[in-house]
Amino acid sequence: MLSPERLALPDYEYLAQRHVLTYMEDAVCQLLENKEDISQYGIARFFTEYFNSVCQGTHILFREFSFIQATPHNRASFLRAFWRCFRTVGKNGDLLTMREYHCLLQLLCPDFPLELTQKAARIVLMDDAMDCLMSFSDFLFAFQIQFYYSEFLESVAAIYQDLLAGKNPNTVIVPTSSSGQHRQRPALGEASTLEGVEASLFYQCLENLCDRHKYSCPPPALVKEVLSNVQRLTFYGFLVALSKHHGINQALGALPDKGDLMHDPAMDEELERLLAQVPGLVNSATANPEAGCLPSRTPPRVGSPWRPLHHARKVDAESDGSTEETDESET
Amino acid sequence: MIPGKYRSVSGRAANNVNCGLHLVIQTSSLPEKSKVEFKLNKETPSFSGRLLQHDLERNYSSRQGDHINLASSSMPSFPILQRSSEEKILYSDRLTLERQKLTVCPIIDGEEHLRLLNFQHNFITRIQNISNLQRLIFLDLYDNQIEEISGLSTLRSLRVLLLGKNRIKKISNLENLKSLDVLDLHGNQITKIENVSHLCDLRVLNLARNLLSHVDNLNGLDSLTELNLRHNQITFVRDVDNLPCLQRLFLSFNNISTFESVCCLADSSSLSDITFDGNPIAQESWYKHTILQNMMQLRQLDMKRVTEEERRMASIVAKKEEEKKRESHKQSLLKEKKRLTINNVARKWDLQQHRIPNIAPNQDRKVSDSPQDPSQLHGSTVSAFPEETGSLDSGLTSALQGLSVTDTHLVEVDGDTLSLYGSGALESLDRNWSVQTAGMVTTVSFTFIEFDEIVQVLPKLKIKFPNSLHLKFKETNLVMLQQFNALAQLRHVDQLTIDPQGNPVVNFTLWKYYVLFRLSHFSMQKINGTEVTQNDMIMAERLFGILAHVASSELPQYRLISILGDARKKQFRYLLETKGKKPGLVNEENSDSKRLVGENTNRATLNYTTRDFYNERLEEIKEKKKFCKMYMEDLVKEATEINMKNEALQKLWPQMFIELVRDAVIEIRNKSSYMKLCLQQITDQK
Repeated sequence: MLSPERLALPDYEYLAQRHVLTYMEDAVCQLLENKEDISQYGIARFFTEYFNSVCQGTHILFREFSFIQATPHNRASFLRAFWRCFRTVGKNGDLLTMREYHCLLQLLCPDFPLELTQKAARIVLMDDAMDCLMSFSDFLFAFQIQFYYSEFLESVAAIYQDLLAGKNPNTVIVPTSSSGQHRQRPALGEASTLEGVEASLFYQCLENLCDRHKYSCPPPALVKEVLSNVQRLTFYGFLVALSKHHGINQALGALPDKGDLMHDPAMDEELERLLAQVPGLVNSATANPEAGCLPSRTPPRVGSPWRPLHHARKVDAESDGSTEETDESET
Repeated sequence: MIPGKYRSVSGRAANNVNCGLHLVIQTSSLPEKSKVEFKLNKETPSFSGRLLQHDLERNYSSRQGDHINLASSSMPSFPILQRSSEEKILYSDRLTLERQKLTVCPIIDGEEHLRLLNFQHNFITRIQNISNLQRLIFLDLYDNQIEEISGLSTLRSLRVLLLGKNRIKKISNLENLKSLDVLDLHGNQITKIENVSHLCDLRVLNLARNLLSHVDNLNGLDSLTELNLRHNQITFVRDVDNLPCLQRLFLSFNNISTFESVCCLADSSSLSDITFDGNPIAQESWYKHTILQNMMQLRQLDMKRVTEEERRMASIVAKKEEEKKRESHKQSLLKEKKRLTINNVARKWDLQQHRIPNIAPNQDRKVSDSPQDPSQLHGSTVSAFPEETGSLDSGLTSALQGLSVTDTHLVEVDGDTLSLYGSGALESLDRNWSVQTAGMVTTVSFTFIEFDEIVQVLPKLKIKFPNSLHLKFKETNLVMLQQFNALAQLRHVDQLTIDPQGNPVVNFTLWKYYVLFRLSHFSMQKINGTEVTQNDMIMAERLFGILAHVASSELPQYRLISILGDARKKQFRYLLETKGKKPGLVNEENSDSKRLVGENTNRATLNYTTRDFYNERLEEIKEKKKFCKMYMEDLVKEATEINMKNEALQKLWPQMFIELVRDAVIEIRNKSSYMKLCLQQITDQK
C-alpha cells in the first residue's frame, strides 16, 4: 500500500488518478439530497455504506449517466451490473434488437444515451443493417469495448480516417507513397479493392496514442497481439477483434470470459429461490410473503441470514459466489 | 274470298267447311233447353247483378229460334246474320252468338236497335261489322282471339265492354266510348294503362291477369269505384289518389314489396277495401300495421274486416317504430360526431408525432409542402407544436386548417368502458363522476395521449375509478420497458391491452415478460387478449428475477429509501428493525408488512419518472453538485495544505529537533545560573 510510487505522486495528481474527488463529491452530494433520511441513522454509517457500495460496484445502480461515465471503475461496475442482471436474458437464448438492449440499459440507467448503444450495435453488426438481432454475448462484449474505452475509440476512429485518407500522423517522410494502403500486399480474404489500413502502421499510431492518452486504453501489449494477426484490417474489424479478445476482457476485469458468461451460480440459486415462490404469486397477491421481500429474512433452514450491508461478497472478475452461501445451502 | 253459300240450318247442323270461310251458323236449337245465362267473367262478380239488371234480368234461353239466317253478303268473307222476325220481336234488343265457332264478326243486318250483343266463347280475331249497331249498350267479346281493340268508334252509347280473355296488347281506340261504365280487359297481354283518361263515367275497370308492371296514368277516371289489378307484375302504384271515387282496389298476386311503392294509397280518402295478398309485402312482419297505420280509412284488408283492435295495435307499433327511428337517428348523429372528433384528435396526434410534415417555428413556412424527413426535427419538441395551432398559415393543407379547435379531445363512458381520446381528455378525470357511473367502469382506454401524461394522472384514476381493472393503450407512445414501472402504483390491474399501433414497445421480444414481472403483484389474467399462463409467470421471473434481487438487496440502504420515498420509508424502517431478529420471527412479521406495502418490495425500486421530471430533477441537483464540488475543493485545498505543511515539517523536523536539543543543553550547561533563571521566571510570573 505504501509503495514509494504512490507516495511520490503530488497530491492532486494522486487524487485525480484514483478519482477520489469524484467519489467524495458524489458522496457529499448524496448526503445533501437525502439529509433527513440519513441524519436518522448517522453520517458515519452513510459514508460506510457509500464506499462499501463503491467497492462492490453497486453504487451505479439507477444513477444518472454522467455519474456512471465519470470513472473507469464506475463504467466497469455498470458493465458488471448489466451482466448480472440480464444474464438470464442471454441464457434464455433470445436475440434482441439494438433498441431492446437499449431499453434494458435504460432500466438500470434512465438517461443512457442511444448513441452509445448504436455504436456498440455497429460493432457487432459491422456497420450493417442496424435492425438485426444480436445475441447477448456479442452485444455485451462489444458494448464493453465501446463504453469502457469510448474516448479512446473516438481517437482511434480519427486516426483510422487519417490513415485511410493517406495522412499518416507519424511518418516524417512525406512525399513517397508510404501510407500503407497503396502497398500491394496479399490481403487476408479481402477483395482487390484494398480495404482498411495496414496493421503495423496502425499499431504504431495507436501506441503513440496510448502513451499520450489520459483516458484509459487497452494494454498496448494486447493491442499489439490483436494487430499482429492480420495484415490489414478495417476499423470495425479492429473493434470486433478487440471485443472478442479474452485478454482485454480480463484486463478490464468487469466481465467473465465468454465461456463463463452464462454462469453465475450464486445468482442462479437466488433465482431458483425466487422461482419457487412463483406459484404463490399466481394464487393471490397477498398470500405470498416471501418471494421478493428483502432477502434479509431467509428460509429457516439456511444457517446464516443474508445481510446485504455486511456481506463480504467481493465483486471479483473471477469468482462470483460468496463462499458462505454455496457452502451452506445443501439442497 | 270465295263467295259462300250459306243456308240456314235447323236442328243440328253440321259444319260445312269450305276452305274455312264458309260459315254455318249453328242455331241454338239444341235438344235440351240449355239456358245460356248471360254470365260475365267470374272475376267481376260484383257488378254482374246490379249493372245489367235493367238490361238482362232474365236469363234468356238460347232458343232464339231457329230462324237465324245467314245469307251471303256482298262482302266476300263475312257471313250475314239474319233472324226470323219472331225472334226479332221477342228479343228485339239482344242477340247472343255464344259458342258459335265464329272466327269473324258477322254482318248483322236490320238490327239497328240492338242493345246487347254477346259473342262469348268464339274465335273472333277482330272486332268488325258492328259499327251500325249504334244503340249498343252491352258488348261481350269474352274468350275470343281479339288482338286489338278496334271497330268501336261508332258505339257511342256503349256502357259495358267485356273483352276478357283475348289477346289484346294495348288499350286503344276507346276515344268515343265516353259513356263506358264497365271495362273488362282481364286475361289479356296489356302492359300499360293508357288512353283511358276520357272515360269519366267508368266505374269498374278490370285489368287482372295482364302484364302490367306498374300503375299510373289514372287521371281522368273520375267515377272509378273499383279497380282490379290482380295477377299482374306490378311493382309500384301511382296516381291512385287522383281517383276521387275509388273504393275497392285489388292488388293481389303482384310484386309489391314496400309500402313506399304504393304510398299514394295513403292519400286516397275514398279507398275502403284493398287486397295485397300474394305480394311480397304481405310476408313482411310489419305489413299489417304499416298498411293500417297509413290507411286509416280502410275497412277491409285482404277481404277481411279491419277491427278496432287491429287499428289500435297498428298505431302503437307505428309509434314505437317512429321512436326507434328517431333514436337510431340520434345515435348515428352522435356516432358521426364522435368519429369526427376522433379523427380530429388523431390528426393532431400525428402532427405532434411529426408524422405529418410540421412547420419549423421560425423558418420558411412554405417548406412544409414537400414531405420532409422527420428525423430533421427534434423528437423532443413535442411541446412546441400546440402553441402553433393558432398561427397555422397557408403552408398547411386546407384540411388541417379546417380543424375545429374546440373538439380536441373526447371522453366517453359506455357502460363499463371509459374511453379517453386526446390529452385534453385527461382533465375530465377531475370531474365529479357519480359514484354509480364511476363504480361501473371496469375498462379504461387511452388513445392519442402521451404515456408520460397518463402517468401523471394515474393516482387520480386510482381514486376516481376504483374498479378499473382493464387498461388499454393505443397510440400512446410507449417506447421503453421502464414505462411499465409506472403502472405499479395502481391498485389492481387484471388485463392489459397494448395496441401495436403507436406503441413501439410491443415490438420488443421481452415486453410481455417484463410486464408480468414488474406487475406480478397484480396477478394479471390477460395481456393483449391472451391468457397468462403459469409458464409465462415463471419465464418472467426467470428472466428478470435477478434484476429485482439486485435492485433491492444490493442497493445501499439510503438509496433504497430515497428511491422509494416517504410512503415506503416507514415500512422499510420496520423491515430494517426486524432484520436483527431471528429468522423464524422475521417471516411472520414480514408477511404482515408485505400486506402494508402491497407489492413486491424488491421491485419497488424499479420506478419510472417521465423524462421531463427526470431532467428537472437533474437540473435541481446541479446546484447541489456545484456546491459539493466547491466544498470538496476547499476541503482538498485544506488537506493538501496540511499535507504540504506536514511534509515540510517532516523535512524540517530533524533540524528543528537538533536545534531544540542544542538549545536545551546549552541552557542547562551551567546548573547554578539555570536554577537562578528558573526561579526568576517563577517570581516574574506573579
